Amino acid sequence: MTIPPTGDSSSRPRPAALNAATATENLNPDPPTETSPDNVKPRSEFIQGVIGSLPLWLGIIPFGLAYSLAAKTAGLNPFEIQGMSLLVYAGAAQLIASGLFASGAPGLSIILVTLIVNLRHILFGTSLLTALAHLKWWQKVLLAYGLTDEAYAVSVRKLTQKQAGPAFLVGAIVSLYLCWQASTFLGLLLGGVIPDPTTLGLQLVFPLSFSVMLMPYLKLGPGQAAALAAGALAIAAKLLLGGNWYILIGAAGGTIVGFLVEKKSKL
Amino acid sequence: MNIWLTMLGMAFVTYSVRVLPLVAVRVKPGPGFEQVLRYVPPAVFAALIVPEFIIPQGKFEFSPAFFAGIIGVTVAWRTQNMALTILAGISSFAVLRLFM
Repeated sequence: MTIPPTGDSSSRPRPAALNAATATENLNPDPPTETSPDNVKPRSEFIQGVIGSLPLWLGIIPFGLAYSLAAKTAGLNPFEIQGMSLLVYAGAAQLIASGLFASGAPGLSIILVTLIVNLRHILFGTSLLTALAHLKWWQKVLLAYGLTDEAYAVSVRKLTQKQAGPAFLVGAIVSLYLCWQASTFLGLLLGGVIPDPTTLGLQLVFPLSFSVMLMPYLKLGPGQAAALAAGALAIAAKLLLGGNWYILIGAAGGTIVGFLVEKKSKL
Repeated sequence: MNIWLTMLGMAFVTYSVRVLPLVAVRVKPGPGFEQVLRYVPPAVFAALIVPEFIIPQGKFEFSPAFFAGIIGVTVAWRTQNMALTILAGISSFAVLRLFM
């Protein structure tokens, strides 16, 4: 059987106009991948998410070791230490809770402190609402489990700018979750021979990497105002109130200031 | 309270704040709210970054973290390169700690 000269469109030679379009696309460093099959894109986005999260491992590993050591000092057994990482999966809250367990604080107050420390996460889901709107409810329910500072930080720009789909976020979440479990476990194996990560400055990995992620948002006045207000409010709240409200107060206040400055500049 | 019960409570409150906004809101946010939400990322980043460099111990001091922060943020601003920024911040912290 011979292919008729006017066969289906895929066997037809590309018109010159299309070839010209491909040539200009090549100038674009990130050409769209419309021609690839549907299943390839999410997979490569997943891998991109994993890769994007790798620099944060540098901060998570010493953090996980420190938590493991703190929880051990508080008298928790290895099952409880790994169990908390698996179930709660919130680094700062786990470290603070370890201190509270050590001081014999009542369970309800530990739960309340955990809620206060993690209340800022309410902003993450809210800010990703549109980007994740087309997902099925069970996909959101699963994904929410890993919506930490780090996963949000790595993914928010990619997702809100539609440079990547939810698969990118899932890749980052899987990578960060596994890293947190592995570093908790490593802490159990190493026992007390862990050097204090703060003497090496590794606690700075998070704010340093977040600084890189902040920069694209500072191109315009309202974004600058949001960041400036958030930083100032967080400092003021930490100095005046103490405790763990300051991140939420800074982030919520800065968001409102950014919006108000944008509205005012449009008048 | 039993340790496992406490940890289950911690897991419950943590998961709740992460999942609630995603499942409780059924409609897509309107353009007005969308406009507000655009400023969540810069505000969240700044609120996470600034206290770590300026008042890491709860009060202001010219600490190695303070100067490492200035150097790190400058490199982040000029290069927007993750590896370079972390390298600059951590290594300047290490050097500053020897002298401060």
